[in-house]
Parts: sequence; C-alpha cells; structure tokens
Amino acid sequence: MIAEETLVNELKQKESQAKAFEVLVNTYKERLYWHIRRIVLNHDDTDDVLQNTFIKVYRNIEGFKGDSKLYSWMYRIATNESLTFLKQKSKKLGVSDEELKMKLVENLQSDVYFEGDQIQLKLQQALATLPDKQKLVFTMKYFQEMKYDEISEVLQTSVGALKASYHLAVKKIETYLKID
Amino acid sequence: MKKNHKNKFKTPEGYFDNFHDRLIDKINQEEAVHEESIIPRSDGFAVPEGYLEHLPPEVLSKINHKKTKVVQLNPYKKFYYSAAAAAAVFLLYFGLNVNSEPDISFEDLADAEINAYFDGTDFDFSSYELAKVVDIEELTLNDVLETQLEDENILQYLDENLEDLDDLNLDYVDYE
Repeated sequence: MIAEETLVNELKQKESQAKAFEVLVNTYKERLYWHIRRIVLNHDDTDDVLQNTFIKVYRNIEGFKGDSKLYSWMYRIATNESLTFLKQKSKKLGVSDEELKMKLVENLQSDVYFEGDQIQLKLQQALATLPDKQKLVFTMKYFQEMKYDEISEVLQTSVGALKASYHLAVKKIETYLKID
Repeated sequence: MKKNHKNKFKTPEGYFDNFHDRLIDKINQEEAVHEESIIPRSDGFAVPEGYLEHLPPEVLSKINHKKTKVVQLNPYKKFYYSAAAAAAVFLLYFGLNVNSEPDISFEDLADAEINAYFDGTDFDFSSYELAKVVDIEELTLNDVLETQLEDENILQYLDENLEDLDDLNLDYVDYE
C-alpha cells in the first residue's frame, strides 16, 4: 500500500490521476461500502451512494488540503452522502425520517442480501430508534472496530463526547433487545 | 481494626492491602460482562458475489464518461432566456386583460335552470325546517297537494259525504 501523501499527490497530477484513483478505490471500497451499508441498509442504495462518494472524492481532490487524513475526509463525504440520500428518499416517499428508517428495517425481512436472524433484525430496529450520531458512533466502534481517535476525526467530535454517545447507544440497544 | 485519629473514620482490616487485586478483579468482571453482551457481533448483511471486484471499473467508467467535454450546441442559448422572459411577460399581461371576464352571479342563472334544480333535487326537509321558511298565513291547500283541487270538486265531496251541507255555514256566493 502506498503512502497516503504520495497517493494524494498522484491524484492531483493529470498523468498519474487515473492509476492513482484506481488504487484509491481498491484501497477504500470495502471499508466505505460497509460504512454506507450500515446507514442506508439496502445493497442497491449503498452501491449508488458509494459510487457517488468516489466521484465526489475524484472531483474534489484538488481542494483536499491534507489538514485531515485522506480516509477520514472520504468517510466524511460518505457519511454526508448517505444521510443526504436518506433525506431525499423520505422526501420522495412523503414520509418522515423516522418512518423511513423503520420502513427500511421492515424491508430487510425480504432482502436477499440480509442473512440476519430475528435478533439481528431486532438489532436493526433498535439502531433505527437511535439519533443519527449515536447510531454512527455505535456502528463505527462496534462493527467497524474503529478507534475513538479515528471516529473523532471523521465525525469531528471530541473523544469524550464519542465515548458518552457509545455508552448511551449500547445501553439503549441492550434495553431494546431485552424487551420481548 | 485500624483507627484514624485524624478523622475518626475506620476501614476494615486489610482493606488497603488487597485493594489493587480487588480492583483488577472488578475490571476483568466488567470486561467479561461486556464480552457477553446480548448485542450480536455480526449484523447479518451480505454483499452480492463479485460486487466489490467489479466496482473499480464501474466507477472509473462513470468518471471517464462524466469527464467528456460537452460541446455547446447553441452559443446563443443565453439570449433565448431573455427573449423567453420578455415573451412570457407580454403574454401574461395580455392574457390577464383579454381573459378577464366578469364573475358569474345568481342573476345570470335562467329560471328554467333554477326550477330544474328544485324539481330534480330531493331536499328532504323536515316539517320543522319547512315551517321555518314557509309563511303559513299565505299557504293554501293547493300549495301542498300534487293534484289541484277545484272548488267544484270540494263542494261535490262535501255534498256527498255530509248529511246537512248547511251545517257548515258556507257562504254560497263564493261558490256560485
């Protein structure tokens, strides 16, 4: 894997851009896919958002100053794209954001790319009741096993606040899962 | 038991000697509880086979497609907008003036239409509602009967059904 700084420089130069972009997509496609998938839940929607994320990264790489790490910048774009996508979807369907989240979880029951059992389905229901930020912190820490420092850079929130959010999310999910 | 002469509080015998061990035990216990959390470690999502392998060429093709320079077909397009705006204002002004017809009022309705409406509509008024709108002083029998009764018919009925017509004290002048 080439160093992040080198990759950014190559992305900014016309002659090396295409090759560098291919490396970038190959390096981050899986991590970003799972990050987006846990927000929008459906595979086809994830595919749309993931492609848009990479296209945005490509178009805006000139403006990337290197103040933060490349991966955290990309994660931020992916997060914003996912949340915007959900907002647009709820507007299109004429339902509230909360109603849409519940509907997406309901759809998982007939989703061929969801192999979860009843407890995993209930976990998704529990996650749908959480505020966006709490859900993001939980999935990034619990499923993506990111460190608090990394999450802090992506969500631009202090580590202390993230720890509190994570703790609250765990308590809420456990309580939800204990209800029959 | 040890006595603290400064503040009079006491601690159990050997409390501080094994404090560290007990603390470590508690941390381990909490970690074990966390490990045994009822939250599943996997969330059950799956990805179609070969999807991630095919993703890079798809994204690259989209970028190359979007990079293609679009040749402007009509360089005068921007002037069309101002021309269209002027035409829209013109049409709106004349359209509003030409189409401004007076409002339709109740007087414009033909009597035939009003009668047809009353004949064809079943109002289903209650007797109370009728009493409120119809002045009883001006009401005659013929107003509420579908078959009109002539005076002669009434007299004939009375003549046939009453034993003595004179008991009614009718003023015959009215019926001659």
